[in-house]
Parts: sequence; structure tokens; C-alpha cells
Amino acid sequence: MALDRYEWLGRLAGRIPEDALVMSTYIGAVSFEWAHHTEEHHRSAHLGQMGDVIGLALGLALALPHRRIVCLDGDGSVLMELGQLVAMGEQQPGNLVVFVVDNGVYESIGWSSQGRRPTATAGQVDLAAIAAGCGVPYTVDVTAEDELDAEIDLAFSRNVCSFVNVRTLPGHSHVRPRRTDGIEDKYRFVRYVERLEGIWITGVPPQDIALMKGKKH
Amino acid sequence: MAMTAAALDAAHDGLRAAGIDFVSGLPDGWQRPLHERVEFDDDIRYVPVCNEGVGFSICAGAWLGGKKPALIMENSGIRVASEYIARISLGTGVPVTLLCSYRGDVGETEHWGIPHGIVAEPLLQALRVKYLIVRHVEDLAKSIVRAKRIAEAQLHPAAVLVSGDCVWED
Repeated sequence: MALDRYEWLGRLAGRIPEDALVMSTYIGAVSFEWAHHTEEHHRSAHLGQMGDVIGLALGLALALPHRRIVCLDGDGSVLMELGQLVAMGEQQPGNLVVFVVDNGVYESIGWSSQGRRPTATAGQVDLAAIAAGCGVPYTVDVTAEDELDAEIDLAFSRNVCSFVNVRTLPGHSHVRPRRTDGIEDKYRFVRYVERLEGIWITGVPPQDIALMKGKKH
Repeated sequence: MAMTAAALDAAHDGLRAAGIDFVSGLPDGWQRPLHERVEFDDDIRYVPVCNEGVGFSICAGAWLGGKKPALIMENSGIRVASEYIARISLGTGVPVTLLCSYRGDVGETEHWGIPHGIVAEPLLQALRVKYLIVRHVEDLAKSIVRAKRIAEAQLHPAAVLVSGDCVWED
């Protein structure tokens, strides 16, 4: 069995903690539909690409250990760089939860009369089992509708590094593509984190700081 | 063969002076002592990885969370990390300081290091990563500080390639 992506991303969006940060894929149906469900909220960084989404989320989780970090990735992306799971299993940040939209195909490249091009998870590969083998403390392979809500609530109810693989039906985006690029996405996420955490991520040039000397305001 | 004791101190001093508080990397023969030193520095979060591409992604994520990251690796790791330097930094503008052993530089003794020396600089240039080659210990700490400084200013990685007297006492 498998779940409908648009529908289950909507359920996840409805359950995500208010103060969480999200590392999502950059382009493709997951990004478009997540942005739609979350009304382009700036807590989501649509910055991850093939093979780096979990790595980015892991770095963010280690930098902000008090903050819930949610990662949204796809099976093709996870498969491209399995070394990310090794690092996740070694570090085990309790504030990191990875959700994988595992539809068993390379969705974003399109399809022909022969259908979609399969990923390795359409065959024998089990990403949750690989994550478990890498030492990720909690892993699960969700295949049924009635399992998903319980797994989401479990992930957000405790501080355990988790890998939730969701077997998902293939299918093109139900919503329009996003219009932003990585530069705009980065700045709006960085400014959101700066406000949320009370920190500066991008700096001020020293020469500009010197210009402020003697100013009253 | 590993970096000299003086180079080890200089590299560590440079990382600290630059404000680096997050290091990822894969140890190599030359910079192994630096990994061992940084791992036990209470002011630096050290995240070992099994390949440099993952290390780059982790550093980039840490920067988005407010850290000042550096990736320590052999120059062969630039090839591995290049996929993610291109995707993340050319695509979105994220700074990471790269501290690399310059295997294959003039003076190299190992045949397997030669390809690393051939590829490293053209690859950094292709990735628009500015770099300094440091062959004298007295230049090492300030070069790390300067690399980190321009990385932050341009929101793109900058690199230090370590070789020469930092490694060989011939």
C-alpha cells in the first residue's frame, strides 16, 4: 500500500510544531505541495537538493539543538548520498526528524509511454532498514494510511532522532510550481531564523560598523 | 608524514582566531593531528563524516543555524564535495571555510597524490572558490582568518591549501 503525497503532506503540515524549522527539497512536487500546505511560511527552507537535504538538516539540528528540525526529502535524493544516514546515525540529534516521500520513482524528470523511471526503492531497497543499520535510533517504514498520524505524533512528542519513510504513490504536483530561487529562499529563511533565535547569521561589514561611531541612533 | 607541530598550532590558532565554532571533515595523513586537536576543543563542535560531500552539506546547514563552519579535508575531498559546493553555494550562496591538505604540490613524495594536485586548483577555480596556498607556517593562521573573512563577505566558500614547510622539514 502507499499514501497520496498531497494528502499526507497536508496532514504533516497540520501537525508540525509552531516553532519548528523545516529543511525541504528545493524544487519538485514535494517542495511545491509543502509550500502550498504551509502557505509559504518562512520557517521552511526550500534549499535541499539531490543528496544534500538530510545533511543540511543535520547541520541545522546540530547548530540549534534546542529547536525541532524537520527534514522533508525524497527517495531518489536519499539514495544519491547514503553517507548522510551514516552521519545522522553517528550524531543522533534528538531534535531531528526526517520524513521521506518514498514514491519509488524519479518523479520530477517526467515520464513517457513506458511510465516513470524507478528508483532502487521500487525494488529491494528499504531506506528505513538502511537508516537503522546506520544507527538512527528510531526508523519506520509507513505503508498504511492509519499508521501515519500516529507516527507524526510520536515523532513530535519526544526527543528521539527519527527517520520516517513514507511509501507514497507517484503523481505529479497538485499545485503550481514555486516562483522563488535558492537565493531568495535562503535570505527569507535566514532572516526568519535570525528573528526567531535573536542572532545574526549574515554579518555587517566592519567598515559600516565604524561609520556608526558617534551616531546617537 | 603529518603536518608539523608548529603548523598544527598555527592551524588551530587560525581556526580559533577566525571564530570557527563548527568543524566537519574527513581526516587525512597530513591533517590528522588537527582533527585530533579540534575534536577536543570545547569551543568547536566537531562532526566527523565518511565523505567530504556530506561534510560540506552539514557545514552549510550549520551556517543556516548561525554557526561559523569549516570543512577540513585532503584536496581529493574537494572533488567529492564539489557536487554540493555547486548545488548549495553556487545555487544559494552559503559560506564555508575549506582547509585542505595540498597533496601533489611540489615536494610530493607519493605517486597517488599527483592526481589530487593536478585537479585541485582548476576545480576550485571552476567552483569560483577563492584560495590561498600556504607553504610557510608563519602564514597559516592569518590565511585561515582571511579565507573565513572573504567567505563571509561573498557568501561563498573560500579555501586554504596547506603544503610546503607546514608538512616537510627537509
